[in-house]
Amino acid sequence: MEVGRLPISASQRGKLIAAGYTTLSSFSSLSPSHLARAVWDWILTIDNLVKRGFTLVNRCCTCRYCEESVDHLLLHYLKISDNEAAEIMRVASHSHRLDGSAGGCGTVNGAQTAWDMLHEEEMFPRITTSCEDLNNILGGGINCKEVTEIGGVPGIGKTQLGIQLAINVQIPVDYGGLGGKAIYIDTEGSFMVERALQIAEACIEDMSECGGLLRKDFQACQLKMHPNNILENIFYFRVCSYTEQIALINCLDKFISEHKDVKIVIVDSVTFHFRQDFDDMALRTRLLSGMALKLMKLAKDFSLAVVLLNQVTTKYIDGSFQLTLALGDSWSHSCTNRVILYWNGNERYAYIDKSPSLRSASAPYSVTSKGIRNSASNCKRIKMM
Amino acid sequence: MTPENLLHRLPSTQKCTFGCPVLDRCLGGGIPCNSITELVAESSCGKTQLCLQLTLSAQLPPSLGGLSASSLYIHTEFSFPSRRLHQLSHAFISSHPRIFNNDPCDRIFVHAVYSADQLFDIMPKIESFLENMNTQLPVKLIVIDSIAALFRSEFENTPIELKRRSSLFFKISGKLKSLAKRFGLAVVVTNQVVDLMGHSEGMNGLKVGNLGSLVSSGRRVCPALGLAWANCVNSRLFLSRNEEVVGEENGSVDVSACGGGDFLPRQTRRRLHVVFAPHLPDSSCEFVIRREGVFGVER
Repeated sequence: MEVGRLPISASQRGKLIAAGYTTLSSFSSLSPSHLARAVWDWILTIDNLVKRGFTLVNRCCTCRYCEESVDHLLLHYLKISDNEAAEIMRVASHSHRLDGSAGGCGTVNGAQTAWDMLHEEEMFPRITTSCEDLNNILGGGINCKEVTEIGGVPGIGKTQLGIQLAINVQIPVDYGGLGGKAIYIDTEGSFMVERALQIAEACIEDMSECGGLLRKDFQACQLKMHPNNILENIFYFRVCSYTEQIALINCLDKFISEHKDVKIVIVDSVTFHFRQDFDDMALRTRLLSGMALKLMKLAKDFSLAVVLLNQVTTKYIDGSFQLTLALGDSWSHSCTNRVILYWNGNERYAYIDKSPSLRSASAPYSVTSKGIRNSASNCKRIKMM
Repeated sequence: MTPENLLHRLPSTQKCTFGCPVLDRCLGGGIPCNSITELVAESSCGKTQLCLQLTLSAQLPPSLGGLSASSLYIHTEFSFPSRRLHQLSHAFISSHPRIFNNDPCDRIFVHAVYSADQLFDIMPKIESFLENMNTQLPVKLIVIDSIAALFRSEFENTPIELKRRSSLFFKISGKLKSLAKRFGLAVVVTNQVVDLMGHSEGMNGLKVGNLGSLVSSGRRVCPALGLAWANCVNSRLFLSRNEEVVGEENGSVDVSACGGGDFLPRQTRRRLHVVFAPHLPDSSCEFVIRREGVFGVER
């Protein structure tokens, strides 16, 4: 079967043929990310990067948030994205089956190789925290498909980080974001709309600064990225008891399947109602682990990021009181990543306490009127060097 | 979309004004509704003064920054300062002559509470009271002055008692927050301070909030009731006072300036600091307490 007969758009067809894929069998064994990369390779050979005047520096020139990578450029400058490649593969495998040709089609096998998973992870953008140092220690930002727990003392900026993430998840794909929506579950009543608006305005301002390169795209983006639209894309739930909280989380999968573009679920804080009236601690542990499983499943099924904000408490260890995140030892197994926010002198720091893929590291950040940003003193240090 | 309805849609949490533009500017419009705001200070810094003033300014219409609402004042420490409230209300009526045709004190409900358990037990009563209000102005402000007095006396310093204490913190604050959410209430609680000993930065070497260390009357202090309670409030404001000697030519403008043992004229400088709040930056503002109420001063 020839590519020309596939029900895909003319431009996609053109790209496939130009990259040397003329028959269906020639690419049906490739994974979507391979396909996207192959088309990318073809474009590299005609050297149009240089013609357009792009230099391969360590940062992407369209969005200052993401590290430069081939995949990233691919999303930005080429019209064949990973999604598009996946779409082509889907159509192709469908046609393949209709064609009735011999089996062994790679794409319909259920298993996914670790290699593909690696590619998928690389292709999938992370949610930036708007603080470069924090992004660095997090490996680029908050990862989708994972549960991340963030904890710290009152006033350290947990809620600020939560609001920032709810806004940053909406950065359009053209700017290296996810272009998704956010669910914000507020258990403490600390979410302030005027603060969200302030951070949203600063986020748009930042994007328009780096949007000079793609000026015509920017006009369209600006329409889409009005502060009010940003606030419209945050689904806010206020829960007033732990039963409400559990009920809401149980119903979230239904809500998200109706709103497919939700890419982050933030619970601020997961702790508050669970510290109220539990005489039976075993019951509390059971409820919490049930809730954690549910959230993990959500993260996997809808490939979204789950961010849980936690409080801190003191724990009596070896004759002295030490700070730990609340909810006990068994809860600490429930999250993939754990980030602790703390004061170091007059500076705020974040520390990776637990992560399967990141090394433990700490980084300073600051809370400004624009939201979470690089620490001011750190900027000075870099300038001096 | 027209600019007019854009202005109309400008999202903002409803705030309750302090009745003073300088203080309001420092706090982004006043005390936010749907959340708990804590006022921390040592004694005679002006906690009660601010609370009394809030109960009056809450009655202002929204066009003047108020909530056009009655308020509920739960006092725990000493008898309710009704004489001072009357004094304030006279000043209040004369500054807003056209708004009030009857005594604003009629719209302030007062309740005394003497123990932490009693506070938790009257929560259902408060809820039914809020539900069945038949007056023209609904209750939109609850003041608890002070929460610290209830918790600091009653509990012993044993692990079991402390555990009971912190679980009561979360119960009371959970209940207050759900009431705040349901009725759009602004909740203000006052708290006392404890002195800080040693070199540690805060309680147990732990720093809560923005301020490096809180200083009042030349002593390093931190809010009472510890970390568990700090987790229960949404915003924390700190009032400090520092006495300083002023030159004789300046004279004393402050009614609360006291002569002290020696006869040097002294002046009390009071400041309001934001320790943490989800919507406010780290800021502070000086204020004075006069006969007519609490006013911010710009320097």
